[in-house]
Amino acid sequence: MAEMSAEKYLADVELAWCPGCGNFAIRTSLAAALAQLGLPPHKVVLVTGIGQAAKIAHYVNLNGFNGLHGRTVAAAAGIKLARPDLTVIAESGDGDLYGEGGNHLLHNIRRNVDLTVIAHDNRVYGLTKGQASPTAPRGYRTRAQPAGSPSAALNPLALAVALDAPFVAQTFSGEPDRTANLISQAIQHRGFSLVNVLHPCPSWNRVQTFAWYKERLVHLDETGHDPGDQGQAFAVATRSGEQIPVGILYTTDRPTFADGHPVLSGDPVGLRPLPSSDVVRSLLATFS
Amino acid sequence: MAVRIAGAAGQGVQTLGEILARALFRSGLYLHGEFSYHSRIRGGENAFTLRVGEAPVFTTTNDVDLLLALNEEMLDLYRPWVREGGVVVTDEAVGDPADREVRVPAVRLAREELKLPIAAGVILLGTAARLLGLDRERVTDAIREVFGDKAEPNLRALDLGYDHVPNGRWQLPSPQFKHGEAMLLTGGQAVGAGAIAAGCRFLSSYPMTPGTAVLEFLAMHAAKHGIVVEQAEDEIAAINMALGASYAGARSLVTTSGGGFALMVEGLSLAGMIETPVVIHLGQRPGPATGLPTRTGQENLLFALHAGHGEFPRYIVAPSDAADAFYLTMKAFEVAETYQVPAIILTDQFLVDSYVVVPALDPARVPVHDHHLPVEDLARMETYNRFALAPSGISPRTLPGVSEKLVLVDSDEHDAYGRITEDLEIRVAMVDKRLRKGDGLRAEVAPPEIYPTGSLRGKRILLGWGSTYGAIREAVERLGAGYAHVHLRELWPLRTEELRHVWSEAEEVVLVEETATGQMGRLIAGETGRQPHRFVPRYDGRPFTAADILEAVR
Repeated sequence: MAEMSAEKYLADVELAWCPGCGNFAIRTSLAAALAQLGLPPHKVVLVTGIGQAAKIAHYVNLNGFNGLHGRTVAAAAGIKLARPDLTVIAESGDGDLYGEGGNHLLHNIRRNVDLTVIAHDNRVYGLTKGQASPTAPRGYRTRAQPAGSPSAALNPLALAVALDAPFVAQTFSGEPDRTANLISQAIQHRGFSLVNVLHPCPSWNRVQTFAWYKERLVHLDETGHDPGDQGQAFAVATRSGEQIPVGILYTTDRPTFADGHPVLSGDPVGLRPLPSSDVVRSLLATFS
Repeated sequence: MAVRIAGAAGQGVQTLGEILARALFRSGLYLHGEFSYHSRIRGGENAFTLRVGEAPVFTTTNDVDLLLALNEEMLDLYRPWVREGGVVVTDEAVGDPADREVRVPAVRLAREELKLPIAAGVILLGTAARLLGLDRERVTDAIREVFGDKAEPNLRALDLGYDHVPNGRWQLPSPQFKHGEAMLLTGGQAVGAGAIAAGCRFLSSYPMTPGTAVLEFLAMHAAKHGIVVEQAEDEIAAINMALGASYAGARSLVTTSGGGFALMVEGLSLAGMIETPVVIHLGQRPGPATGLPTRTGQENLLFALHAGHGEFPRYIVAPSDAADAFYLTMKAFEVAETYQVPAIILTDQFLVDSYVVVPALDPARVPVHDHHLPVEDLARMETYNRFALAPSGISPRTLPGVSEKLVLVDSDEHDAYGRITEDLEIRVAMVDKRLRKGDGLRAEVAPPEIYPTGSLRGKRILLGWGSTYGAIREAVERLGAGYAHVHLRELWPLRTEELRHVWSEAEEVVLVEETATGQMGRLIAGETGRQPHRFVPRYDGRPFTAADILEAVR
């Protein structure tokens, strides 16, 4: 596929994100990844939920399904099962994907539908003004959790590795080229891919700032990490302390939902014609 | 003529019932077979009540001519319902010998002759079949259909039972139809077949009785008919997957019961907002909450009508019998596609699980069409606006990836293109556009059925909807002159004009409904200002019979 200009994917509309938000850079990285792959915009569906991150469906020139909060991955799976000919990307925030939508994430990793899930992870709820998200650390104080969040943070990387997700990566919005590269690899990988994009929220998260992340990033491609080793990947994902791993944690190749599926191996069901009357009559004949 | 087979779960009541139903069907007779069961896999009470007729039968009965009791508990429970002149067939070891009993050494023969204890039921069925006047060949055919390769020992069991009695006690009516002129199916199968006939390509659902029957039917036929069927992680996933698939071009169905539908409600509202068709099969059972999981009721009418936050049009049907379920399921798909709205098929456990013989189904009765914009038309457009402000409210629809035009849908209020907006003038225009579809929808709905035809002046009306059709019809026939039956099978939009006419003509309107509160009465009162004069409720989880209604009305 011919490489395209990234501009083509960016909609010329007003962006309603706060100044300094990591979402701007993620949008640019997404466009760059699609341009690298030369994917025509009309062959891509961007599925989003609700939240600041989810507004991205309106800020790009792609097909879009901006559905319900938390149901991003479920809707994306439905689109991909109906139309395996389309590239389907599910993109939303940590509250949407890991909180309200946690069950869909779990089960679509099991299903292994060929989706790319891009999680904007800033550890807070932006649109509803700053409550703790599932990835906020224990003790994180907000107006809704004045005594500090009483729950441990969800570790989405460890979860995905444990469930044998075929592609698990983490990146930082402040490194747009690396982010674009990871998104492009995630799209190309067969099966379910998760890219967790850490990003600062200058409006609500005063702890995990741009500088805070910058100091802690460890690039896995520079440490000799073997993404094919699930045990190593799990160890990296669960390593506590001051280092934040970025890069590809884990890749594997296991059968996707569509592999060997009696219907998905044929024409996309979303494009099949209405049944012929002969077919319907043969079905009804089984009742007579 | 009516027969009841009763036993514990695990004794094969369903299989025996299906064999008997098939044997009668193969004899050219109409029938209705009601399966009533406890919510458990083994033990408890399972009963299959079968009525035979020379014309279609759409309702069940309390009393029967022949009781086949598979254990003592069922014998005691159902013996009082055996009619004068009727017969009980049981194993020789069950209960005390009494009048009107045919006792068969079924358990001993199954063990000693067949080395297959479970075949005792088929031995008893053989005896019952002979008493009923069934041809041995018809029962043999039915056993082959039901058991397939495992038919052999069951055919021997049939002979042992059939030959246990020297001759029949009844004579069956002569065949009423030839092969191919009628069909035997359950309401659940009819919904599934209607979905396939209407071009359903995607089903995602979470198992819940009685909705599961449709999931299983489509799963069985998915490979052959090119349908993606997936068991979702929950009902919320189910409807959101279905909406995704529908956005991408697949006619989509979800099937559930009240509790699962409750979880789908936000998704229903999404369907209204993104104007993406979806068909919801809602098989009702008594609630609240888990309620009576394997029983029947009509408690979800107002819930189905009002579910979903915000205001958007929808289409609701309530089939009266299995044939109706086939046609109305087809219509639900077609209406959902035409108007880009959610359509709800409101059935219940009684309709879904009952076997019935209906005149052969004809899919040509409900034409289905492709409603997408032709690609040539798209090519002529500079921009494609998914939510263009059409006079009918129906914006021309295309799919993602079939042309270079992009398709954007949004659960936020949006402009014609689909982009999120806070422009309040656009908001008002979009609400108006969506609601305008209600005008077209109203014209799709057929008027209520009135029986007998002719003037309603001075008559007492029994008013019902959905699966109570057969029971009410039979009651009205038995009540005779002075009574009429008004039945609704397309519930929303409501045909208010005809209902106002019914009230203005009739002496009295009696609502017959399987609820405690009379939901259709409240719906009609809200829409027309007219209230039923009386209400015959039922909410014990059992379906109405004509006898129940007669007793309440007289």
